[in-house]
Amino acid sequence: MALLVAENLSVGYQTQKGYLHAVEGVSFSLGAGKSLGFVGESGCGKTTLGMALMRLLPPNGMIRQGRIFFDGEDLLQKTDEEMRQVRWKKIAMIFQAAMNALNPVHRIIDQIAEAILTHDPLCDKEEAYEQVRGLFQLVGLPQDRMRDYPHQYSGGMKQRAVIAMALACQPKLIIADEPTTALDVLVQDQILQETKNLQKEFGISIIYISHDISIVADVCHDVGIMYAGQLVEYGAREEIFDSPRHPYTKALLSSYPTLTGEKNRLVPIPGETPNLIHPPLGCRFCDRCSRGSVSCRTETPVWIEISPRHKTLCD
Amino acid sequence: MIDKGKEIILELEHIVKRYRTRGSFFGTHGKDVIALDQVSIRVVRGEIFGLVGESGSGKTTAGRLIVRLEEPEEGKIYLDSNEIAALKGNALREFRRKVQMIFQDPYQSLNPQFSVFDAVSEPLIIHKIGNAEARKDSVWQAMKSVGLSPPDDFAHRYPHQLSGGQRQRVAIARAMILKPEFVVADEPTSMLDASISAQIFNILLEMREKLHVSFLFITHSLAAARYLCDRIAVIYRGNLVEMGPGDEVIQNPKHPYTQALIDALPKFGYSGEVKRYQTLLRAERETSEYVGCPFLGRCKVADETKCSRKKPPLKRLGDSHSVACFYTEPEVKTGSGSKE
Repeated sequence: MALLVAENLSVGYQTQKGYLHAVEGVSFSLGAGKSLGFVGESGCGKTTLGMALMRLLPPNGMIRQGRIFFDGEDLLQKTDEEMRQVRWKKIAMIFQAAMNALNPVHRIIDQIAEAILTHDPLCDKEEAYEQVRGLFQLVGLPQDRMRDYPHQYSGGMKQRAVIAMALACQPKLIIADEPTTALDVLVQDQILQETKNLQKEFGISIIYISHDISIVADVCHDVGIMYAGQLVEYGAREEIFDSPRHPYTKALLSSYPTLTGEKNRLVPIPGETPNLIHPPLGCRFCDRCSRGSVSCRTETPVWIEISPRHKTLCD
Repeated sequence: MIDKGKEIILELEHIVKRYRTRGSFFGTHGKDVIALDQVSIRVVRGEIFGLVGESGSGKTTAGRLIVRLEEPEEGKIYLDSNEIAALKGNALREFRRKVQMIFQDPYQSLNPQFSVFDAVSEPLIIHKIGNAEARKDSVWQAMKSVGLSPPDDFAHRYPHQLSGGQRQRVAIARAMILKPEFVVADEPTSMLDASISAQIFNILLEMREKLHVSFLFITHSLAAARYLCDRIAVIYRGNLVEMGPGDEVIQNPKHPYTQALIDALPKFGYSGEVKRYQTLLRAERETSEYVGCPFLGRCKVADETKCSRKKPPLKRLGDSHSVACFYTEPEVKTGSGSKE
């Protein structure tokens, strides 16, 4: 049975200008020990999706439709208190620029210990510190730096501390939103590889949210491409990169300069993303698509199954 | 080695830039941070020269020195064979017209109180070029050339009404309207999405073709440098570690740091592949700052004795590829039989 299943999830925000359809009709499933990446550019709804899964939307945000099943339970039926039990112990989140969210006036060891103590009232401080020692070893942080303050850590070290915090309560699922943006290339790579190893060792499921398709390409079993609030293509990593089908996926892949292969002229995607307060009726990519036909504008796109693991909204 | 026949538009000669950090509140003394250590670069006219490095490498500092936002402690910078530090009066004004900069953060580089038209025409006003009508023509042309078309749609917008990509186009239009000879582009796309970045890259390429502008393209992305640049220099903690034609440096990297950068870039879906070079240590080793090779702390292939004593100089291997590493063997030139 899948660890996490989302069915037809639609999420939006009430704004001064009207209701913003941030996420529309997203469905996916994630097995235990597997990783899933959501890729898309600014405004595609991937961060909103992540927050919705944890039910951490801001006051003007709402899940309008759909269901979220985690470990067999319907998350949308839970009370706030029940959700608090789920968060961190079962699902942990690493937010964007999380390293900037470390409390500057507390030692790292205390911050991680706090996460442990908050969610496990039976644990005492000494035990918690012992667990922190174990976590430091796991994420590759030196033991003699536990009592440092965040400002004494480099960016990479802070990110490792944040990952340690996420692992502290041994969750089954980690949702990581842009976990390595703002880190240097080498550190980013090291952390991604280490996260992959941790995942294999502990069987943790991970959802990666990123605008950088190359990160997702490296570490995820399955990939979902998002555009303007919708999932437009979804499948196993190899299938998406070897044979992308949706025009947006193809266009996105051609906008990345690569190190190997032919130096073709990069083909940018003309135009801008659509207004999500008044989203277009038909395909949302239509205006920027090189293919488009009359029916694209008026008909709602339906899923086409390419293989058991690969589906697309347009072929 | 640069073709003797080609003209050098910009030269950095043994540049050293130091920053002195202030002592802390409790009285510890400030120390010197060496941001650039004996950096020498020559850019050929019409070339896009890539300076690749991570944060703290000194690449942005190099850009700022070139546009004279800051001065080096040692060394000289020449534009078209004229030493820029010596320029004054009209010559300095000319320099400010000929050399422009595009900054990284499109959300901070435009005056929020200036409309697009104001921002793009301001350089013309400052340099007293043309009358109001001529300026409007130039602005219109500049806007079209960066894809802010039709200009009527954009001229009266303010930065907050523009996306990041659009703001960056305004920054480029503004830089290009004076028809500069040299542009420093400091990570112009690192805050933009991939598809928008691609648009910006293509604009820069067009600028080079149409206006014959030379560029210093500063980036952390080897892939972007490969796409845009004729030659690439890799910089690590203020030191040039490798330099050569773009394709050569990427296909045949010789310095362990360049190799580590290449290893770190994902190869799109083929993550089963073992890393090709594996030159990076998992945990850093202790080194003394500023003595020995700057990369010693992270280098797997280093010899702790040899590499900690002196800093390896940038040595030429073969025709045009230079590396600063004690372990690279210089290639023997065929024909002349001489080793360099």
